[in-house]
Amino acid sequence: MGNIQEYKCPCCGSAIVFDSAIQKMKCPCCDTEFEMEALQGYDDALKQQEQGDDMTWDTAAGSEWQDGEETGLRTYQCKSCSGEIVGDESMAASSCPYCGNPIVLMGQFSGDLRPDYVIPFKLDKKAAKVGLMKHLNGKRLLPTIFKDQNHIDEIKGVYVPFWLFDTNVDANISYRATKIRTWSDSKYDYTETRFFMLSRGGTIGFERVPVDGSSKMEDDLMESIEPFDFSEAVPFQTAYLAGYMADKYDVSAEESIERANVRVKKSTEDNFRSTVQGYNTVTVEQSSVQFHDGSAKYALYPVWILNTTWNGNQYRFAMNGQNGKFVGDLPVDKKAANRWMLLSTVAIAAVAYGISWLLWLARIL
Amino acid sequence: MKRMLKQLACMTAAVLLAVSPFPAAAMASEGFTGEYERLIDMADLLTYEEESELLETLNEISERQKMDIVLITSEDMDGYSDIQEYADDLYDYCDYGYGANRDGLLLLISMAERDWYISTCGYGITAFTDAGISDLGSAMKEDLSSGNYASAFYTYASECDQMITMAREGHPFSKKDLPHAPLSPLVLPICIVIGLVGALLIVGSMKAQLKTVRKQTAAANYVKKGSMQLTTQQDLFLYSKVDRVKKPEKDSSESSTHTSSSGTTHGGGGEKF
Repeated sequence: MGNIQEYKCPCCGSAIVFDSAIQKMKCPCCDTEFEMEALQGYDDALKQQEQGDDMTWDTAAGSEWQDGEETGLRTYQCKSCSGEIVGDESMAASSCPYCGNPIVLMGQFSGDLRPDYVIPFKLDKKAAKVGLMKHLNGKRLLPTIFKDQNHIDEIKGVYVPFWLFDTNVDANISYRATKIRTWSDSKYDYTETRFFMLSRGGTIGFERVPVDGSSKMEDDLMESIEPFDFSEAVPFQTAYLAGYMADKYDVSAEESIERANVRVKKSTEDNFRSTVQGYNTVTVEQSSVQFHDGSAKYALYPVWILNTTWNGNQYRFAMNGQNGKFVGDLPVDKKAANRWMLLSTVAIAAVAYGISWLLWLARIL
Repeated sequence: MKRMLKQLACMTAAVLLAVSPFPAAAMASEGFTGEYERLIDMADLLTYEEESELLETLNEISERQKMDIVLITSEDMDGYSDIQEYADDLYDYCDYGYGANRDGLLLLISMAERDWYISTCGYGITAFTDAGISDLGSAMKEDLSSGNYASAFYTYASECDQMITMAREGHPFSKKDLPHAPLSPLVLPICIVIGLVGALLIVGSMKAQLKTVRKQTAAANYVKKGSMQLTTQQDLFLYSKVDRVKKPEKDSSESSTHTSSSGTTHGGGGEKF
């Protein structure tokens, strides 16, 4: 005797038996009928999915400093937030880019890894100020006083450390999908739902997925000013730091990987999902991704930063120093919000009431 | 059984007619059978004078409009459980109606449960839409409820006259002819709610403008160009299911019809009073 093969019902999960009367597999629980081939295919697809995710990386990013290369660099520390930043000997700025308090020279820069790449600043301080003004304009619920109080000159250019992750991904994803058809006769409306199991497998490559390596810089703020164009990156030279500050990484590549994994997995799933077409509903049943040749690089990306305190809350703005994308959450003027709420309620209600009367006159209501 | 009861009812009517001073034959004119009077007051709701005046009115309108306008009152349901069947059978067995299509309508008042029902036939189905019948009902309702039967029945006669004229002119009474109810007082609070929801959306979008810091969920910008290769692609059909839902009933701007026990098509409608 061969192996006894047991199949589970794709509809309700109970064991399925062969019904000799209809020469088909039939679920004793929910009475759904299946072709033999459909069940075999379903079973094979399920087995393929069982391998789970594998996300391994080689995180040897950055390199050692060459002799004497870092002699022109100095480390500064903020006494208030204990942020540590790097600048060259001639760094003019003397306040912390994160909290605005004075920073003090700690001494000769030493240790840490040497960045692999740097994207030089493309937009200057003037462009950053224009960016801020644009960001504040046209926002009706922004307290007007907020604009005046901004000490806009405090805007600072900072090289922010990023880990860049490269990887190739093997993906196997299965979906449950339905196709719905409707028709009617004189008495009834019919809806036919056809259930499918879809499998998609293949490979996809990612390069330089950035994850912010500074704990002082919020991840969401840095992700909001993406993307940076890596084609403008150059191999790191200390000369690029002149006139700007540089943050030291304090989150290691290993600690940053989790964020990259989440984003890469989501994008992989999105890309394979786009190959599923022609169905009314599609839900992911199982998804497994395997990473190959994962590697990391260490780079500095240019960011303009402005911190401001208003009514006891701190607001931080950031601008992509390469393409000028400006972000930063702003406070809501509660009085203005209430005023707008009242005005629009009255206006819309009045219009709706007017339309009701017109409809009544037209004998539609 | 019902058929027998029906014949009994007609016989009762015939007896009443025999006593009446108007001979049935006098009513007979071209197109009408004239077998029974157009007014049979078995429940005795009208006085003798009222009865004869009303009958004259019904006869006049019926002959002018070439449609039988019949009114029958009954003390009980005569063994029927459904007033629609009762009215249809009265119409069919008493041979009412004008011409080959038996154009006409019959108002049956049953005092047992205080029901009224209008059964229409032939051109009556066209002329008396569901909206028309419900309008007729509401016009009579107050008088019926307070016992002013003669007044209710005159209303019935004149409304029938009007509705037949409207139909002959090509516009059978429809929803649009119903008296226009004033704008519901609920409309204002509903408009305020709409305003509130709209304002929430507007102010919400203004607030959303102030929030620009968002996490990236994916890494779509960093996919290597042309690196995606699909090696497995299988779409496997598993099973199918068919559900059916009964269609909703038609609305009242048309005349709904049914078939009576004798196989004639009738329209109609009724309520309690």
